[in-house]
Parts: sequence; C-alpha cells; structure tokens
Amino acid sequence: MISLDRASLRYGPILGLSPTTFELPEGGGITGLLGPNGAGKSSLLQLLSGLLPPSGGEVRVFGGAPFRNPAVLSRLGLVPEGDRLPAGLRADRWLRMMGELSGLSGPGLKAAVARALATVGMADRAHLTFARMSKGMRQRIRLAQALLHEPQLLILDEPFNGLDPEARLTLMALLRDLAARGTRILVSSHILGEIAQLTDRILLLFRGRLLAEGSVTEIRQLLDRHPVELRLTGEAQALARWAVEQPELAALRMEDGAVVLSVRSPRDILPRLQKAAAEGGIPLRALDPLDLNLDAVFQYLTKDHA
Amino acid sequence: MPIYAPTLPPAPDLGHGQPPALVLARFDLARLWRQKIGRFFGFAFLFLLLWKVARIYVDHLLQTNQTFRPMQDFAKTILTQGADFQADLLNPASYLLWFLVALVGGGLVARDTLYRVRPLMYAHPVAPRDYLLAKLGFASALPFAILLPFALLPWLMSLILAGASGPVWVTAPLRLLPAMAISSALMGTLAAGASSMAATPRAGIGWVLGLVLGSATLASMIQGLTGFSAVQAINPVLLAETWPQLFVGVDHPLMGWGPALLGTVFHLGLWTFVAAKRTMPSEAVI
Repeated sequence: MISLDRASLRYGPILGLSPTTFELPEGGGITGLLGPNGAGKSSLLQLLSGLLPPSGGEVRVFGGAPFRNPAVLSRLGLVPEGDRLPAGLRADRWLRMMGELSGLSGPGLKAAVARALATVGMADRAHLTFARMSKGMRQRIRLAQALLHEPQLLILDEPFNGLDPEARLTLMALLRDLAARGTRILVSSHILGEIAQLTDRILLLFRGRLLAEGSVTEIRQLLDRHPVELRLTGEAQALARWAVEQPELAALRMEDGAVVLSVRSPRDILPRLQKAAAEGGIPLRALDPLDLNLDAVFQYLTKDHA
Repeated sequence: MPIYAPTLPPAPDLGHGQPPALVLARFDLARLWRQKIGRFFGFAFLFLLLWKVARIYVDHLLQTNQTFRPMQDFAKTILTQGADFQADLLNPASYLLWFLVALVGGGLVARDTLYRVRPLMYAHPVAPRDYLLAKLGFASALPFAILLPFALLPWLMSLILAGASGPVWVTAPLRLLPAMAISSALMGTLAAGASSMAATPRAGIGWVLGLVLGSATLASMIQGLTGFSAVQAINPVLLAETWPQLFVGVDHPLMGWGPALLGTVFHLGLWTFVAAKRTMPSEAVI
C-alpha cells in the first residue's frame, strides 16, 4: 500500500526527512508514527498525502506517486493537525463542499455526508457552525471530511492534540473500529502513551531519520545494547541466588521484597524462570517487565542516535 | 436456504461531480450570498442601476415630449453625451465597486490561509491551478456580474424607447463587454493576489485597499514630480475606468491604449504570479 524507497524531503537547505525506506502492507490496521517535535513526522505525512513531491528517492501509495495524482488522492483521507475551521460556517455545508472536491455528487454525496457524520457521531449536530462546536466536535468533523469518500488509507496528524480524555478515548475507539473494517490508518503523535493505547505497530522517527519500524516487542529485541529489565517479586535473596547463576544476567539490583534483573536474550531466560517457579525452585510471586514498553524503546533509540 | 457469499458495500461513486474550480467558486458565492455585506451592496448597486435607467427615460422624455423641449439645451450641458455617456454606464461609483472587491476578495485566499484549509484541499484531487482558477475566477466574475446589468439594461431600455436613435449606441455592448471583462479581471486578480499575501481576511482587505490607494497615490506623486502622465498606468482604479473609455473611443487625457495595455498586463501578471506562488502546495504545509 505504502512504499518509500530512499525518499527524502528538503525545505531549501534544511533536511526535513533523510532518505527513508519502508513499506506498509495492504489491509486494515493502525500504524503509529512516533517522534518528538521536529522529528520529520509531518514531512513524511506531506509526502504520503501528496502535498509535496520528494526531494529525492521515490514515494508510492497504492502503486503510484501521490503528488498531484488524483487516482491516488481519491483513495486517501487526510486529517491535518489543528482544529481551526472557518468559524461562521456550518459543518454540513463544509462537508458537502469537501465531498464534492472528492468527486461525489447528487444523492451519493448526500448519503456519504450522512454516513460520515453518523460514523463520527455528529449526525444531529452537523447544522451547527464551527464557532459553536467544542474542540472534540471539530476534530470529529475533520475526521468525517476525511471519511466521506471511504478512503483505504487514512492519515491523521496529531489527532489527539488538545482533546479531553473522553474525546480522546472516543476518537481512539473510532479509529480502532475503522481499522477493523479494513482501513489502513497512519497516526502521528509525539505522545507515546497515545500511540501505545492505539497500536503496537510503530514507525519511529528522530531528527529526520527513521530509527525503527515494527512492533514494540520486535524493536525492543533489537536493542542488544540495552538489556531488558525484569522485576521479580518474592523472596529477594533466594531470587537473587538463582539469578546470578544465569548466563544472560547483565546486572542485578535488590529492592524491598523484589529483585530487578537486567538480562540479555529474555527469550532464553524466561522459559527457565517459568520452569523454576512452577517446580517451586524459586519463591517467585510476580514478574514485571519494566522496559518492554514504548516509552523505554523510544528513550533507548533516541539516546543511541542523539 | 441458499448461502450467499459475503459482499462488501459498494465503493462510493467518485469522479462525477463538477470540476474542483467550479465547486470552490460556487462555495465562495454561496458564502457571499449568506452574508449581510452582499445585501448592502446589492441595494447600493440596484439604486445606481435604477438611476442610470431613469436617466435614459429622462433623456427620452427630453427628446420626445414638447413640454420639456426648452430644457433640452440645459440638460445637454449637465449630462454627459455621446461616447462619454456610453463609457459612463460602466462607472457605477467606481470606488464603491473597488470597495466591494476589497471586502470580498480580500478574504478569499486569506481565509483559507488562516484556517489552514488548503492542505485539506490539496489532499483531495484538487490541483493548485484549480484552486487559483477558482479564486481568480470568482474575484473577477463578481465585478463582471455587477457591471453586466449596467451595460445591458440601459442599452435595452434605450432600444425599446427610441430604437437605433436612442442615447445608448446599438453597438454599445460590443464595446462595453470586452472593457468590462478587462476591468473585472484587473480588479479580481489584484484582490486575489493581495489576499494571498495576508494571513487573515481583515488583513487581506487592508492589503487590497492599501495596494489600490497606494498605487494611485504613487502614480500621482510621480506624475506630479515628472509631469509624465502615462505613469498613471500603475493606478488600478484609473485603469479600470479607462478601458470602457478607450473601447467607446473617448480620448483619455492621461492614458492611451499603449500605457493602459502595459499597466494592465503588469498588474495581471504580477498579481497572478504572487497568488500562484503563495498558494503552492509548499505554502500549504500541514
């Protein structure tokens, strides 16, 4: 569906995105585009949504270059960052215009607007002007405009910015539902928790470079320089005695009623740990991986490339 | 009971709508229609149009009614006649028209800049040239549509009342319509170009008025210093007034065909270039 082959983007002398190569397959699913401010997320989204041509390399979406390509653009939907919409304008009128720009007309347009509004839960409030809408409502209308022509690829740039927790959860549920119905969704964010709640498939960007691609677990396993931290809760002395005999152990730290192990190759040590606990060889009450989450992966990768 | 294979809902039927430029221009027109400003200017121009038409009728009365015969000579001294009269049909309070173009055209592109709508549009099958065409087209079509009844209604009234001997020439529309097209294109292009430089609609209005009045002042200053009257060709207000006069054969005291053509081409080229540069996809980044 999406393939980048050494695609880069320059803004004059400034490099927005270094030569980047990756592919996203056909079919539904959510991919998180993660990175701090200035990492190149918006540059990548501009390339994918056909707003700018690549300065080098090749970008292909649905098999074609998206820049000024109606065949590609009619199959993707974009929800840009921000919630500014013409204040005095009614949402339904604006949606009709955006639908017409997608090539819809007549009864098809009317049905598409009604369907998109129902999908985002705004069917009964579409007659309001944008000035009378909350931020969450405006964001849902922005999403509705991207859904009018039922795109196969939906691109959202920082869609959760400024939303309250309830609106955030509603939008996440909506995106999950769309993904389950076969839409490929690409969501950018600089907030790890948002992406972690939504998906475990990520593209990690930092300073204009693609650092990693895949699931959080897959990426974590590639980080050999940073052993995985496991907290074993139970009788700390006995757990520590067992741990020091393991060849994968890199470091050990005692805590109150627990021991924290830094281990290489957790796939090798975990089966032995399970077996020992099951046979009663070690007094283990709980096992918590401390850094198998998105925050840890992000921190390790960005520190390594800083 | 037969078992049917699962089917997906049909994909939306795309590609049968109107061209994007037309959709955008129609949207701007609908927005203008809903605004109070449209009603105010509608009444103002309707009043001026009625005045023009009334003048045709008065002229007819002076020519045909014996009661008014003694006033005929006096009327000729205070009312424009001949070619001047034809050109005057298209000058319905020139500054009022410029003001309307500034109020409406100033926000055309600036509003989309303020609300960051262009990235959304360009992420649809809308090319930058479609966007530019819509904005330039709407901004130019607006003064043209306002001037159109000023060219046609008095002509029609004159034909009905007095036939070929009426005060409005039978061939007047053939001369006035091209002049209107040029003047309207000049107004619309300048407004869209100025609007593209602004970040808010109000700033856009300021840009249009500033450019119009600034160019007029600059031209007058240079003419005053150098005595070179053709420099008035940089004054868009004067240019818009000059074209009807040139087409109906009035000898303009300041500007001939050459300077008028050069000045118009300069303005059209400059403001189209500015608008094109300022509405490129790279200016619409998300």
